[in-house]
Order: sequence, then C-alpha cells, then structure tokens
Amino acid sequence: MTITNAAFAIERMLKASPARVFAAYATLEARSAWFKAPADIETLNRDFDFRVGGKERFHARWPSGMISDFQATYHDIVENERIILAYDMFHNGEKLSVSLQTIELRPEGDQTRLIHTEQGSYLVGGMEAVQGREHGTTWHVDNLAAVLEGREPRALS
Amino acid sequence: MLQYQSEPLDLAFQALADPGRRAMVERLSFGSASVSELAKPLPMTLSAVVQHLKILEEAGLVKSEKVGRVRTCSLEITAMIGVERWIGERKRFWEQQYDQLEAYLARTAPKEADQ
Repeated sequence: MTITNAAFAIERMLKASPARVFAAYATLEARSAWFKAPADIETLNRDFDFRVGGKERFHARWPSGMISDFQATYHDIVENERIILAYDMFHNGEKLSVSLQTIELRPEGDQTRLIHTEQGSYLVGGMEAVQGREHGTTWHVDNLAAVLEGREPRALS
Repeated sequence: MLQYQSEPLDLAFQALADPGRRAMVERLSFGSASVSELAKPLPMTLSAVVQHLKILEEAGLVKSEKVGRVRTCSLEITAMIGVERWIGERKRFWEQQYDQLEAYLARTAPKEADQ
C-alpha cells in the first residue's frame, strides 16, 4: 500500500451573503439541492447530521454499476464563517482516500468568497484494486505518454 | 499547492525520450523483472541497462529492489498516474458541486437585494 499526500484548493466568488451560502450547507433540503451527482444515480443511503461530531453519508449506485460512498464527519462549524469536515471516499467498497476539507466563507461587498482547501491521503492500493477491475493493469508506453500529456497539467496547482 | 512539483514530469519525459528505456518500461508494464531479464532482449550491455534503469528510477517511473543477489524492477508510474487522475477527479467533482451551488443560490436569490 502506497500513500500519496496531496492538497488542492478551490476559490469561488458567490453572488450571495455568507449567511445564504452557509444556509446552503446547513440543512439536508438545501444541501441536496446542489450537492448531488450529475448522472442518474440510485441513492442507497443518505445521512445528514450537521453539527460538530455529526456525520454525513452519501452512498450511491451509478449507472455504470459503480458504488460510491462518501462518509464525512463534521469537525468544526462556525455559522456563516467556516465548516471543517473529514471524509473517506470509497469506490466499490475500496477506501481510496481520507481527506480533510476546510470551507471558509469571507464576505466581500455583498458577495462571498468561498475558499475550499482539501488535504488528502490517497491510498494507491485501493485505487489499483479499483482500476485493475475496471480497466486491467497493463500499460503501454504510448498510453503512458498520452496520459502524461493529456492529464490536467497544472489544474491541480 | 500540490505537494509534488512539475519536475518529476520533466524527468519522466526525458526518461521516456530514449527508445531503449521505453522498451524497458514496456517490458515492465507486463510485470516485474530482474535486471538480467530486462537486459536479455535488448541490444545493450548489462552495465548500459543499469545506467538506463538509474535514469528511470530517478524519474520515478521504475522502482527496483534487491533481494539477495537479484535486483527486481517494477513499474511505479501506473500508481502515480492513478493517484493524479484520482486527485484531479476529486477536484473536478467539487468544482462541479460549486457550479451547482451557484445555480442554487441564483435560483433562491431574494427578489430585491441579497439580505
């Protein structure tokens, strides 16, 4: 089992007050209106307990048959300011990553700057198991170069 | 922000620029091999193979492990690509969620000014 530690950040300016953005996180109804998978998926389990120590789960079957499982625990919540959660991500029962996600809401005029910072431990053994099942494991040099060239070069920075 | 630099990628491309080294990577894509197994089909000396291996290892494409008198080589890059792809997917996933958040906020915006 190999582990890669990596971090990424996402920033968004949102045309809403921090209170409205925070509210979009705080109830299952609001959260479900935007936190959802793009494709037609079958929800297997959905838990939501938005308080420090509370858990969230989004367990679903995708059209491809793949089963994803997002299991989070809220570690810090300051109304209209920040949310910190840690989550495990599983695909087909394999744990692929453990991540710490920090969401900061900063008012700027009548808008909100949302800063999402995510630090993760990515578990290669789990990933190889999933990829091995889905794509086979043999690699050729041409594929290798194509992937190296085609991969999002610094989108991760 | 990502905690590995762009350098490894340059090293990987440099390492793959050589046809002999590409042949070695291709061979290892089918499974691990000892240095002498790697050298056998190649028109080069064992010491040249060892040199090439060193470059592949420095580029993070190949790893080798010595057990007793035999050095066994295997491909490292598959794992690396898998991780990068997965991290990229995680980031894309959240970007997409924020697109949806923006749409939701627009949909539910109060008619007058934002309160």
